[in-house]
Amino acid sequence: MPRIKTEQLKEGMVVITDVKNMDDMLLIPAGAKLTTRQIGILQAWGVLEIDVKSADGAGNTDILSKLPPETLARLTAETKAIFWRPDDNDQIFAELLRLLLSRRIKRGQF
Amino acid sequence: MTISTPTIESLVQATPSSLGSYGPLLREIESALASPQSSLGSIAEIIEKDPDLTSRLLRFANSAYCGFSTRLSTVSEAIGLIGVQQVQDLLTASSVIEQFTDVADEFVNMQSFWEHSLACGIGARLIAMEGRLPKPDRFFVAGLLHDIGRLVLFLQSPKIAQRVFELYRKEHILLREAEVKVMGFDHQGIAEALLRNWKYPPALVHAVGYHHCPQNSSVGQMEASVVHVSDHLVNAMQMGSSGERHVSPLNPQAWAVLNLKTAVLEPVMIGIDEQIEAAKEMFLKS
Repeated sequence: MPRIKTEQLKEGMVVITDVKNMDDMLLIPAGAKLTTRQIGILQAWGVLEIDVKSADGAGNTDILSKLPPETLARLTAETKAIFWRPDDNDQIFAELLRLLLSRRIKRGQF
Repeated sequence: MTISTPTIESLVQATPSSLGSYGPLLREIESALASPQSSLGSIAEIIEKDPDLTSRLLRFANSAYCGFSTRLSTVSEAIGLIGVQQVQDLLTASSVIEQFTDVADEFVNMQSFWEHSLACGIGARLIAMEGRLPKPDRFFVAGLLHDIGRLVLFLQSPKIAQRVFELYRKEHILLREAEVKVMGFDHQGIAEALLRNWKYPPALVHAVGYHHCPQNSSVGQMEASVVHVSDHLVNAMQMGSSGERHVSPLNPQAWAVLNLKTAVLEPVMIGIDEQIEAAKEMFLKS
């Protein structure tokens, strides 16, 4: 679920978190499919970025699933090794690990 | 030869005030603010006397950290949008960094230490924004100073610091645990006493002084939790280092206090990556 800069938003992207202005007034509700007019509203209110559903089909999970299994296993082991007693059953740790792996791949560190 | 273990008080007493080279400038801003005639223009004039500071402040105000959509070209505009308090915080932070540049590389590389600290400050501010906490900008300084107790130890008591590192390597424990085993207290305790001595606000003192155990703070549990989560993230992202080679566990109570969802991790991490270069340019001038 990426956070996208307003100038990069495209019609049809699905908003996943309510977008409000500084006075807490709802501009666009979560679940809405963005229209050109709504993108204009965001720009008019000076909203810099919003959360949308992964629109390009290349989210973090996809990046990882495209890796050869042995590379993914090696990267996972290396990344886990920097943690003091990592707990695979911990939901926050699992999400953090996934993000760290994706970050390494995007930066070409593998 | 036996080396006596220092006390928190002796370490703090030996450390100079935080004002450093920006001290006169900060005092001038304070007295201008106290004057009934003070205006953005009069504060800007004080800052503009220092051309290097002026250009760094403008670059910073136009960077991803501040995220304004319009280009700011004057110091008055920058102060108007960032706020005088934040400008004062930035000057204080610059002064503190400048004062702690002579630490021997045998313990920690200073560039790496301040990169870790800046990233923690950026992350703390972003987490506070995600958690919709009031005045998120104040968390930057808390994150920036979170490991300053370690620098005080390295500077004021290098022999004891050496002993801490020897034990840390020998027993394969966390650096903080080695500090407690050798001295009876850790870098949090040193920082708490130091910042109290510098007369920083209690919430900031606690944010730094309890960043490994926020649940023990009486007045700054929320603030210390923000710093704790940010420290955990930037350690996991391996952004610089303050001497610890492992990522110490995330304190579940700190996470729970902030009522955060795992979905905030990604935007915070992206924000840290986007803003770190601007912060390094502002604070780590060579």
